[in-house]
Amino acid sequence: MTLWFEDIDLVTVWPLGEYTFTEEEIIRFAKRYDPQYFHIDPEAAKHSHFGGIIASGWHTVSIGHKVMVDFMYAHDAEQRERGEEPGVSGPSPGVNKMEFKAPVRAGDTIRFDLSVKDKRKSNSLPGWGVLTSIIEAYNQQDELVYRSEIASFSKLRDYKPTLKERALLAMAAMPVFKKLLRK
Amino acid sequence: MTNPITKDRRHFEDLKVGEVVQLGKRTLSKDDIISFAKEFDPLPFHLDEEVARKSLLGGLASSGWQTAGFSLRMLVDEFLSKVAGMGGLGFDNLKWKRPLMKNDTLTGAVTISALRRSKSHPEMGIVVLDFDMRNQKDQQVMTLSLTNLVEVRDPSAPIEENAA
Repeated sequence: MTLWFEDIDLVTVWPLGEYTFTEEEIIRFAKRYDPQYFHIDPEAAKHSHFGGIIASGWHTVSIGHKVMVDFMYAHDAEQRERGEEPGVSGPSPGVNKMEFKAPVRAGDTIRFDLSVKDKRKSNSLPGWGVLTSIIEAYNQQDELVYRSEIASFSKLRDYKPTLKERALLAMAAMPVFKKLLRK
Repeated sequence: MTNPITKDRRHFEDLKVGEVVQLGKRTLSKDDIISFAKEFDPLPFHLDEEVARKSLLGGLASSGWQTAGFSLRMLVDEFLSKVAGMGGLGFDNLKWKRPLMKNDTLTGAVTISALRRSKSHPEMGIVVLDFDMRNQKDQQVMTLSLTNLVEVRDPSAPIEENAA
């Protein structure tokens, strides 16, 4: 669902998809990125206040991201099939807020919803808009698992750069300036 | 009830605001970046070196979520595995300041910026951990504030006024 900035509304909730977590995956992710005992050791985890193994919140969030990327690709392909040109999104500058609300256990199926809470034209990047997106994850009992507020960029379809901006953009595209910008 | 797994670890009472945890070092290989991206962030500029070279980033860069994951791992190794942790409540103000490129080395420090008891759960303490992650050139790569729960050794101790 890469949309042009102009086409993004603040009402639609996009159901991105769902994912079922297995214990094997929970442990594999945690051994690499978050090896706390209640994420990697089923026996030890019984002594924790969770009463058993739970997924690292970062695992759930990474899966949420994957589900979103897959949804975007599928939606872009649908747009192209209809003869429409999908919008262009830019890299995310960050996450304003992430709240872990309920643990994810092996066998849980988590669904992810995306909506846009706020949009404005970027002051620093002409031709781009800044979005504040909300991703909410729910389990099969409809309990909120996490809620995140993510910043991202979306390109303007109808943007006409001024002569000065066009000159700057052309300069920025030259290899020597690209190198400078990267520093 | 004492938790046999965490009884000898540092508890809420043992932590101090201002304590700095120096993190280790982690160099990201091409395989690290691509294997994470395949599973969690399959965008062309995280998966394909040729595409990445022509992209805005100018080379193969790790997913921001992978940078966050390795940062967390380093905090577990140096700190969270030694405290009586009870999981996380979330985080605020995660900022990806610059991409972490192939063969870059991630390191950094984490500072305890706040500590308070939970009012509703006297056995829980809340610790706020501020990450300052950098590359081998000492350029800031990522910052974030993580809010975690830690076991209180003596839940019967009075809870201070400014508790959450």
